[in-house]
Amino acid sequence: MGRGIQTQPCSQFLVPLQFPLMSSLFNLLGPRKAFDGGLFLPDHKSVTSRRAVELLRVDGPLHVPLTVRQDLKTEPNVRVGDRVLKGERLSNSTSHESIATHAPTSGKIVELSRAWTTQDGYLPCAVLEPDGREEALPQHQGWEDESLIVQLAEHGVMCSEPRAPLHSVIKEAVAAGVTDLIVNAMETEPYLTADLRMLVEEHGRIIDVTCELADALGVSRAILALPFRHRRVVKRMEAEAHGRYVEIAAMANPYPQCQPLVLVKALLDCEIAPGGRVLDKGVIVLPLAAVVQAAEALLDDRPITHTVMTVAGDAVERAGTYRVAIGTPMRHLAERVGLVGRVAKAVCGGPLTGLAMGHEEAVVTATTKALLLFSETEPSIPVPCIHCGWCVEDCPVGIDPPSLMQLESKPNCTNLEMSHLKACLDCGLCSYVCPAQLPLGETIHRTRTRFEQQREPACLT
Amino acid sequence: MFDIAMTRGRWIVEERSLTGAAPHRKGGSTHVHIVRTWILVASLVGLWGVVLFGVAALKILVMSVLCAVIADMGMQIVTRRPGTGRLPRAVLTGLLFGLTLPATAPLHVAIVGSLIAIIIGQGVFGGFLHSALVGRVVVQAFFVNSLSLSGALVTSPILAPGYLLVGNLDHAEPVADYQGWLTPQPSTTAEGYKIERPVQTLRRFTQDRVPPDDGNFYEPLVRDELPPWKDTIFGLVPGGIGETCTLMLIIAGVFLIHRGYLRWQLPVTVLASAALAASIMPVNLGADYHWFPVLEVEQGRAVGLAYVFFHLTAGQLMLGAFLLAGDVVASPMRAHGQLVFGAGIGVLTIFMRLYGTLEGECYWAILIMNALVGTINRRMKRPVLGLAG
Ligand code: SF4
Ligand code: SF4
Repeated sequence: MGRGIQTQPCSQFLVPLQFPLMSSLFNLLGPRKAFDGGLFLPDHKSVTSRRAVELLRVDGPLHVPLTVRQDLKTEPNVRVGDRVLKGERLSNSTSHESIATHAPTSGKIVELSRAWTTQDGYLPCAVLEPDGREEALPQHQGWEDESLIVQLAEHGVMCSEPRAPLHSVIKEAVAAGVTDLIVNAMETEPYLTADLRMLVEEHGRIIDVTCELADALGVSRAILALPFRHRRVVKRMEAEAHGRYVEIAAMANPYPQCQPLVLVKALLDCEIAPGGRVLDKGVIVLPLAAVVQAAEALLDDRPITHTVMTVAGDAVERAGTYRVAIGTPMRHLAERVGLVGRVAKAVCGGPLTGLAMGHEEAVVTATTKALLLFSETEPSIPVPCIHCGWCVEDCPVGIDPPSLMQLESKPNCTNLEMSHLKACLDCGLCSYVCPAQLPLGETIHRTRTRFEQQREPACLT
Repeated sequence: MFDIAMTRGRWIVEERSLTGAAPHRKGGSTHVHIVRTWILVASLVGLWGVVLFGVAALKILVMSVLCAVIADMGMQIVTRRPGTGRLPRAVLTGLLFGLTLPATAPLHVAIVGSLIAIIIGQGVFGGFLHSALVGRVVVQAFFVNSLSLSGALVTSPILAPGYLLVGNLDHAEPVADYQGWLTPQPSTTAEGYKIERPVQTLRRFTQDRVPPDDGNFYEPLVRDELPPWKDTIFGLVPGGIGETCTLMLIIAGVFLIHRGYLRWQLPVTVLASAALAASIMPVNLGADYHWFPVLEVEQGRAVGLAYVFFHLTAGQLMLGAFLLAGDVVASPMRAHGQLVFGAGIGVLTIFMRLYGTLEGECYWAILIMNALVGTINRRMKRPVLGLAG
């Protein structure tokens, strides 16, 4: 198979230009690549990106997790045998960081147990047997404080990167004094189409909510980063944002352009020190999925009970983007969407950064982006590095993966090497391109974790 | 809203399919694909060489590949380190080595050379120097008589029109007034022509051994001594099996670049820097050094340009630029590094051709630059995002 040849370093990215001549040139040629490295991957989106988002009706027991992260404490609000309505609280938050969870449909609680989630392992869950009537709570319970933060917390809006409840992300950002908000709709990983479908179907609401969030954050600039490839979407969003203070930045989408650090480098030309966060530079990057969920909470005043996710891969019969109830077992989801042949690999999230499903009984959570099912594994037989340099050229941050891989067997590393290890974004591109099939990204991740654990006690003493 | 009633597939229960680290999909180009593509293009060039030089060339190619494979198997047994994908690499090494040999070389040269390429080049240097070239320069030193350009064997044969592929190089005869391959030679019925190699003519010229004509230096060289330029494009001049055919080598290189297995920067810089060096470097003519030969105009003809052109196409350099310099293992990792590497090869080749006595100058240049790859790699690190400088 040929390899996309796009490794030439390019100059700085140009955000929409003022001069008419330049901007028509920009339209014609498209943006240049905005950072060194990166690769245009075969994106496998042609089918799923054309199908509208479909609501998957609940027709089996749901294992709704009662909390969104291992360390965020909640207490159950229901008991076994209770009948709940759609949107009713299943658990209440017990701390400021935590958020409540809600029932995706009406039915009976048959059991309180635990459910496997790919990102957090086992979480407490309520098993909800739907009655098929979809009876909803009367809207709006009325809280004493109507601020955006409270609404987000009460409706249980979750952000996938950083993986925390959206209200606490916003509170932290306000405390850090952010000046720029970037809404990240790049979605450069193959197969994923949830963001793209949301851009097509909810374009107006996205702009509205971005404005609201920008107000709440008190930022001076709000940028919506879109893939330039989808020109009609870009045009539509530009028309929609006309006269608002959301800027539309149409960007080339070589692979890890969706990583916040790379995005910030491309859009604002500010570099973040290895291991740092974008917040250190007064920038907040929100994934589009979080903005869409915020729209549901703020504009419709509905709790978050569903997530929009892609179900794709060559073992899936009807690949597409679905609105799935939180707590749906993956296995059930796969069988509903239809399988072709045997599944040999199940991945939650994108093919390059996603996690293997881990357990057969995994359930959909608020931050699940995709379920990818492949009918064949890709066996890899590593051989020694052949010095082709592809990984070095394509790495978005410019580190040298094969030399870092040698650290694996070393007891110690220098500060420079440590900062290189920390600079790695875990994008997986090096392992993807390596013709010697070395597990570069994995090894770097593992080595970094080991050294970090080693160093921590040293720092304390 | 929709309902799917039936499912054809089975849901998995295997543990294996649920574990594993990201990335879960790979790029698809493995080292095996790379080597296979290289073998493909090298054999295309070799095929054209066989057409040009007849069955003798085929024998040499087959022999060097065979010996390389046998030597590699031997090495695997001796070192007890069987490796995946080693066989194709041995084939490639043998093939590339064969391409650098002239078809008139005796078979034992091919055998010894490819054994050395595998045992010393691959085994001792571990591929950090281009193994095929290690073999080549060693046999060049051992078998001076059969490979050397100067000395006893000053002319080398090429098959005549009508005898391509089937002709026998042993039945070639020297031609007195050679006008080009396509010009009919009425006086002879030989199966081939014995003429001087263009590289050798250029060397003779730079050593001031081409007599000037009427105070013109370049005119006699381009008009009388060198073959017509078209011949060097199609490879219709004597030389190594894969060295002569510029067109075929360009096609091979472009295919590799298209597949992404060769960076375009490398051949381009090799050729550009060689052209630049040939344009500037002084030539010893009439006890005097002439700088900037490219600017030379004699009798209204831009003979200087022709001189530079022949430096590029006369042999070795094209093979070096497209098939030898770009060896994946022995070239720098980054495109920036390859620019330096390529420039070094181009300049060194021309320098050695003009002032040196070593033969196989392009091969030496590549080996010298190969030895510097480690340094180039260290100097040409990418700046890391977030670490200033
Ligand atoms: S995983 Fe790390 S080292 Fe590999 S390409 Fe991505 S950032 Fe670079
Ligand atoms: S991509 Fe793999 S083989 Fe190529 S230089 Fe990197 S580690 Fe080595």
